[in-house]
Amino acid sequence: MSAPFKTAGLLKDLMAQYYAKGEENRKLGIPVAWVTAVFPVEIIYAMDIFPYYPENFGALAAARKVADKLSEYGEQQGYYNDLCGYARCGIGDTYADEHPVGKILPPDLLVCCNTQCGSLPKWFEAAGRYHQAPYFLLDSPLIEGEVSSLGKAYFVEQLWEMVDFLEKTTGNKFDLNRLTEVLKLASEATRLWNDCLDMAALKPAPFGFFDACFHMAPIVTWRGTQVAVDYYKALKEELDERVAKGVTAIPNERFKIYFDHIPVWPRLRWFSDLFADHDALVVASQYTHSWAHKFDLSRPMESLAEVYTEQFVNRGFEYRIKLKMEFMERYNCDGFVLFSNRSCKPNSFGLYDKRQVIAERTGKPGVVFEADMSDQRFFSAGQIQTRLEAFFEQLEQNSRRGKT
Amino acid sequence: MVIDDLLKRFNDVVADPYAEARKRREGGQKVIGWLPTDVPEELIHAAGAFPVGILGTNEPIHLADAHLQSWACSLMRGCLEQGLKGTLDFLNGIIIPHTCDTTRMLVGIWRHALKTPYIDNYLMPRQVDRPSARTYLKGELARLKSNLEECTGQLVTDKALRESIKIYNANRLAMRRLYEFHGTNTGVISSRALYTVIKAAMFMDKAEHTALVEELLQEIGKVEPRNDERIRLTLSGGVWEPPEILEMIEELGGVVVADDLLTGARYLGPDVDTTGDLLDALAYRQLNRIPFGGFDSTIRGRSTFLVELVRGARAQGMVFLHLKFCEPENYDYRDMRKAMTEAGIPSIRLETEYANTSLGQLRTRLQAFMEMMGGNGS
Ligand code: SF4
Ligand code: SF4
Repeated sequence: MSAPFKTAGLLKDLMAQYYAKGEENRKLGIPVAWVTAVFPVEIIYAMDIFPYYPENFGALAAARKVADKLSEYGEQQGYYNDLCGYARCGIGDTYADEHPVGKILPPDLLVCCNTQCGSLPKWFEAAGRYHQAPYFLLDSPLIEGEVSSLGKAYFVEQLWEMVDFLEKTTGNKFDLNRLTEVLKLASEATRLWNDCLDMAALKPAPFGFFDACFHMAPIVTWRGTQVAVDYYKALKEELDERVAKGVTAIPNERFKIYFDHIPVWPRLRWFSDLFADHDALVVASQYTHSWAHKFDLSRPMESLAEVYTEQFVNRGFEYRIKLKMEFMERYNCDGFVLFSNRSCKPNSFGLYDKRQVIAERTGKPGVVFEADMSDQRFFSAGQIQTRLEAFFEQLEQNSRRGKT
Repeated sequence: MVIDDLLKRFNDVVADPYAEARKRREGGQKVIGWLPTDVPEELIHAAGAFPVGILGTNEPIHLADAHLQSWACSLMRGCLEQGLKGTLDFLNGIIIPHTCDTTRMLVGIWRHALKTPYIDNYLMPRQVDRPSARTYLKGELARLKSNLEECTGQLVTDKALRESIKIYNANRLAMRRLYEFHGTNTGVISSRALYTVIKAAMFMDKAEHTALVEELLQEIGKVEPRNDERIRLTLSGGVWEPPEILEMIEELGGVVVADDLLTGARYLGPDVDTTGDLLDALAYRQLNRIPFGGFDSTIRGRSTFLVELVRGARAQGMVFLHLKFCEPENYDYRDMRKAMTEAGIPSIRLETEYANTSLGQLRTRLQAFMEMMGGNGS
């Protein structure tokens, strides 16, 4: 990973603030809603509800290497270790008698969008029963091929059903003008975030995917507020400064890599060091680009529906291949690494075939490795290293061939 | 004995599930397969094609490993294996429903790895309580209908669809009567026989199946009811695989009287109204099916349903039959078990896999459970 960022301090404060805010807000009478990462949180902010991201809690626990521990508390209750690691952390923490990353915030209500996966609704349903809090599902049918008006109309109708649900459960009122303001801020933050991500295309780059994973938290949690806008302005400035001063992400960048999708959180540094040792920088991933959208302020609800249903995580096989290839082209990648994540079926099933197709179509080397994003009980360093070494060898061969 | 002959017929169908489908294909009819669960077969039928269930395999799984991770459920791995092996080459089309993330991703793999001419999704709404679900589902059924028409080259007229629905309603009625009969006269046919009849419906011509079930009903109606002292059990989960489980339960002094399985009660109800808008009626059936991990009602939850199921069937215990890696079940299990405990209903969870379950281990666990319930356990 790159030399420490100045903004890292800011980020730490922001996140500490965010985690403290939940309980504070509740005391002030502001309801706490559990939400999912790819969710029209803009509506939540516009209705003065506090959005809490249990997935974030899971990622935090994973990054601090305590996911296995928390997970075991859930497993003792009858939840299986085959389930998504975030869910296991979140569920485990509610039953745990130790809270190594703080306590997961109990919800007053839960709103879930299943664009990402079917795990989140099941987790939220269970949490809703446990906390006896009302639960609402925003259902986003898979877009296998072309985008259809049927799915979009269904989603828009549900957005209004959700507004109704939120008004009834919280007593807060929905206001379209207020939503437009929030959407403006969300658009601005996502634009800045993408500007930052694009810096990874420079060669050598001032920052890469593993940095982006770290700086991603505000675009997830503060999207739709001034806080996120200010944060990404500061980050962008710092990146520009780095470019001016010639500070690069890794000392000797020779290869650019596409990585799909999420990091192995407890081994983030292990991976980034391994890549750096081979002069390879991971520069792009569909994961960090999940918030690459813009809203059309003249038709807010439709625009929300498009942004949140047409996400890559809700798309079919061919679309996802195309998207990965586009990233590879845009960021000039020399090869690609696909993470078959035991926690995440929707991002992992199909990767074996996708690897083959992308390799054929691009002529670039690619590899799939197996692990779990949070749980180290499913991590075999030796196996992964062997796979990746073979991949790096291919990169070298290609580059030698390119030179002769 | 007539009953045995009839049961043998159903057994034979299940032992060679695609015989009828292959015959139809050879005869020039289009054959459309469906994966579990909930695909509206009536639409396929009304488009002039023969619908056939693809329900996995208990043969070893090898070829699928190159396409689908080993931590996918063995049901879907088995379906893919059959496709890759060429077992399903008779299919003109296949419909893969969105029941969970595994089936949601399987459709892309299927398109890539297999040459089935027509491949489609059935994208059911995942919430069933709000008005939007019904509007959307009608649209989805219309989409599916027009794709089926294109595949078979035959328009689905209102008349044809109504006829198909009637055939399916009649079939469901016959199976429900058998199911209820078995629930009250448990000694007459075995649990495995009952579920074999239901499963056979997924592979056979429906009218023929109905006629056979009706014949069976007549024959078993003649049998003198006898007092059955065995322990009444309910099953909850996906599929009754491997099939030996049902025999094992009976050998250990139990009998299955109700369930919520995909290859059981979920297939039976509710009926489809034939008097109004037919797509709306099909949507109604889908939204009012019994609860399942994939689409739970938030108004009337699955745990309440299961407790009522056990009580309604006067059962003494619950056996959760869960396929390893089945996400919806694994998320639900803790609360379902809790509901059982709170209602004073003993329960056990058996984790199974197609092709790969150790029957000895299952037996030991079941035996302990039955002994605890006061059965003979031998
Ligand atoms: S990691 Fe995958 S399964 Fe888990 S919450 Fe995220 S998208 Fe869903
Ligand atoms: S619901 Fe369970 S058994 Fe069915 S396909 Fe999904 S994971 Fe497999």
